[in-house]
Amino acid sequence: MKSPIEKIFSYQLASRLEDTGVYTLTSQERAWLRTMLEHPSAAEALEPSTIEKLQACTLEDEMPNLLDGLEEKAGSRDMQTVHPLLRPIRQILRHRQGMMIQCMTKKGKLNDPQPGLPCKLEYSMVKREWYLHWYNSRTRSPMHTRLCHIVFVDEIPLSPARYEEWSAQAQQKLQGGHRYEATVEVIRSFNAELTRILHAFSCFDKRVEFDEKEQIYRIYLSYSGSESQYVLTKLRFLGKRVRVVEGEYLKRRMRESTRKALALYGIGTEPTFSPSTVIPLDVESAACRQDSTAKIPD
Amino acid sequence: MAKESFDKEIQFLRLLALSGGGYDRQQFAGRLGISVHTFDKTVRRLREVSGDADFADLFRYGYADSAEPVLLFLYRAKSMKESESRRLPLILISLKGNPQTAAELLDACCKQLPVEAAMPDEKTIRSDLRYLEEVGVIHRQPGGRPYRYILNNDLTDCLSQKELIDLYEFVDIMANTQIPSVQGYLLRDNLKKALKSAVSEEQWDDALLEPFSYKYHYDARILDEAHLYTLLRMIRLRKRISFQYFSPKNKKSYAAKDTNPLFGRENEARRESTLPLKVVYDHQYGRWYLIGSAAKGRFVKFRMEGMIEIAEEEEMPEEHVALKKAALDERMRRSWLIDTGEIVTVRARFYRPGSGQADFIEERVRLQGQWGQIVEEDEQSFIYEIEVNGITEIRPWLRSFGSSCEVLEPAELRQSFIEEWKEIAAYYEVSN
Repeated sequence: MKSPIEKIFSYQLASRLEDTGVYTLTSQERAWLRTMLEHPSAAEALEPSTIEKLQACTLEDEMPNLLDGLEEKAGSRDMQTVHPLLRPIRQILRHRQGMMIQCMTKKGKLNDPQPGLPCKLEYSMVKREWYLHWYNSRTRSPMHTRLCHIVFVDEIPLSPARYEEWSAQAQQKLQGGHRYEATVEVIRSFNAELTRILHAFSCFDKRVEFDEKEQIYRIYLSYSGSESQYVLTKLRFLGKRVRVVEGEYLKRRMRESTRKALALYGIGTEPTFSPSTVIPLDVESAACRQDSTAKIPD
Repeated sequence: MAKESFDKEIQFLRLLALSGGGYDRQQFAGRLGISVHTFDKTVRRLREVSGDADFADLFRYGYADSAEPVLLFLYRAKSMKESESRRLPLILISLKGNPQTAAELLDACCKQLPVEAAMPDEKTIRSDLRYLEEVGVIHRQPGGRPYRYILNNDLTDCLSQKELIDLYEFVDIMANTQIPSVQGYLLRDNLKKALKSAVSEEQWDDALLEPFSYKYHYDARILDEAHLYTLLRMIRLRKRISFQYFSPKNKKSYAAKDTNPLFGRENEARRESTLPLKVVYDHQYGRWYLIGSAAKGRFVKFRMEGMIEIAEEEEMPEEHVALKKAALDERMRRSWLIDTGEIVTVRARFYRPGSGQADFIEERVRLQGQWGQIVEEDEQSFIYEIEVNGITEIRPWLRSFGSSCEVLEPAELRQSFIEEWKEIAAYYEVSN
């Protein structure tokens, strides 16, 4: 397999073929597909007869064991690439219908079935897991549920008028989430590690500024409430390389983190504090919440 | 496009993606070691390719959950001659569902090209057909001369509309969650067009094209796939390579080739050479490494983003390479990422969330803790143990748990956690 830099992929060609209904499929793309068809999730996503047809079309496009030279490290255990509920839920989304959905809580308790509208299927690259954003029409609240916690989901017919009504309500609630701003400063002695630090923040909406006079890099982050736990995880991941300079919530949480972490090692101002009584606060619970309207106090 | 220009664009896009477009022109050009004039020229060119009016805005929004990889247009940047970019589409359109010979295609081209355009000859058409056949876009039909060619869309033509939707969604998921992904994204773009042809206008819904969203993606990862196949091929062919290397700690990530020979020597970056053994993708940061073999049984590690102008050198004997590879596999068995240092046993106590909450701490340790084991547990906490090469690479992960993780062993790591938490605490005392 060659490098994917080829004139056949050129934008000049693509723009001339636009609106002609003609597209070009290369051996590179077929070889890639052939490799992916060998992944266990192919059987979850496609009918056996479809897989057979696709394999027949990609027979000549083998990717010569090049990928043997490639190894992936520090990834999460590959829990779930394709979930069996993706197809039925996508179908409800495509049909623009409502659903009856029954979910378990995080602790395994079964909730009553609820009527609602599916809004978006989302995959978290961190948790390696699928989530459904949906609107609970009974409680009128936006929800965020792991697919593995959904016990069943069934299409319920909605009139186009009702669909539009729920859809508008859902959009309003889902998009209404507040965004938070914070400024993170790279500690000057770690300026040489800038690319590592920027890579760690590269999955957030951000902007970087460099103060020539003070030789300081500042990263301006903008994130939603449900992302705040992950921002914190990243801040602790980077440790002493960075410091939050703006953003009271993050500052307070970092202060708590350090105080409690030091207490674990018997260092701190509270003499009664011992590891056995510690209730850790450094949690990522927001990402696991069923309800995405995680409140941030400030 | 010249090879040099391509390397420059990769570095350029990476810096833009990582910084979110925040540097000013002067700072940006300075980081890349290019002039502001070259900077402006590159922006103009990339803007033209990406078709986006405000180029820097591409990197500002929708970062967290977009399925549309903004950096993919790098792979669309290879330029063609104007005449070729007019001729190839005509050939491809003529070959859709309609087998033709080179002579017939020549006629079709001559009829459709504007009068002022230079007319191709049959030799040019033949060479176009050779190229299109080589990249697998068309195939030759069975039968003798003159050969007839047809557009090869078998992959999509053999599917029903429902199957095509299933395939599109499968490709979308795999391109976004697996590596390598560039070809998957390119295929996804083509399947979009197939879907548009297969679904009637009344049935059409734009949501078909964005079935899922993906959160916390490392977008810049796809830039390195430009060099990936060259390196993988060299590994397979057992060839040594040489390349120009900009260590990530070097302030400039690209230096323009000096046209003035007087300055050439002074500015010359280090040229490295190695026998490549393995490419490693690090999920923790979304970065790529090349591991090669060096003298005295040592291994050398390069960040792929710092490698440019890769050149093929001599082939090495099979036995020699096999030995090196086996030695590397053995040394990397205990690498959290790529550290090949001494083996250390790390033990850490993790505290459960308590107060009736679901145990997301244990869940995360099991998900991300690689080959480590939970060796002891009770209601409040559990002990995780792992043998790793050195403590540097596992450290950030342990630290990311904050006060839910207490390092027990080795003592040196425990002590350094105490020191670091004290330092971090001081940052927030000061700002209080």
